[in-house]
Amino acid sequence: MSSSKSQAPPDAGTSLREAFVDVCENSFFAYVENCDGRRFAQLAEQTSQAATPGRTSEWLKSAVGFNGAFAGSIEVILPEQLARWLFASLLGEPPEDELPEHQVFDGLGEFANMICGAWLTNLQQRQSFELRAPAVTRMAPNWTPMADSSWNDERGHRLAVNELPVRLRFRALNG
Amino acid sequence: MTEGSTATAAKPFKILIVDDSATMRALLRRVVQLTEMPVEQIYEARNGKEALKILDADSVHAVFTDINMPVMGGHELLREMAKQEKWKDVLRIVISTDGSKLRRDEARELNVSLYVEKPFRPEVVRDVLVQITSPA
Repeated sequence: MSSSKSQAPPDAGTSLREAFVDVCENSFFAYVENCDGRRFAQLAEQTSQAATPGRTSEWLKSAVGFNGAFAGSIEVILPEQLARWLFASLLGEPPEDELPEHQVFDGLGEFANMICGAWLTNLQQRQSFELRAPAVTRMAPNWTPMADSSWNDERGHRLAVNELPVRLRFRALNG
Repeated sequence: MTEGSTATAAKPFKILIVDDSATMRALLRRVVQLTEMPVEQIYEARNGKEALKILDADSVHAVFTDINMPVMGGHELLREMAKQEKWKDVLRIVISTDGSKLRRDEARELNVSLYVEKPFRPEVVRDVLVQITSPA
């Protein structure tokens, strides 16, 4: 039995976090910190409380699939408030400006695209990857990162960007 | 359209930004405007096909293009540009998330002057614009 695809390098998880920090700090001028489970739960709880009950979820997910030396996808989940702040920061616009949702989604897609590209380039300098177009979605109304057990694996990162919670992970196609 | 405002004697020029992301197009437009270089016009296209229509309709001095785009990607656009003698002097700049050696080599073969990885520093764009306005 053979496969043309390699498995993800062992340091892929650490390297993804480094790419995330690089993009946040150098392009979006945002401060990133690691969170332990308790701190992350606190920030996530604050985010959920700030959302209007019964309305759409505050949580947005941006995913970018890729194919190359190894295949998979990266996913970033963050509150809409942070997505709006990042977009405004990138374009030098006041964060209080009410941007249309499609612009926020486009900006969040580009954010994940940059992270994925920086990560894969750092991991595999000599090999090329095919990146798919980012898919940005809003999570279900009552979704919280604490209640989603699919995020409890070793490749997921709990982070805070400007004191707002972010979940980051990659999912390799071949394990 | 963006009017240049510098008092230099440099000839105003036109640039074309090709990216499927409205965010990236807006970012590049903003970076160009911040350089205060004498830019006469900034065109935008969402893919290579739209870019070719603009190139056909007006003379452009520099093209900033992404690689991965729907309808027609950056490589196909650059290949089409290479076929036309009238576009031989247009400066080609790739701005892409893919910084691999393979992609860079491909771009070099398609007369790309500069390959910029996203995320990029605004100074890179300014350096390109200075190159356009500098005497050969």
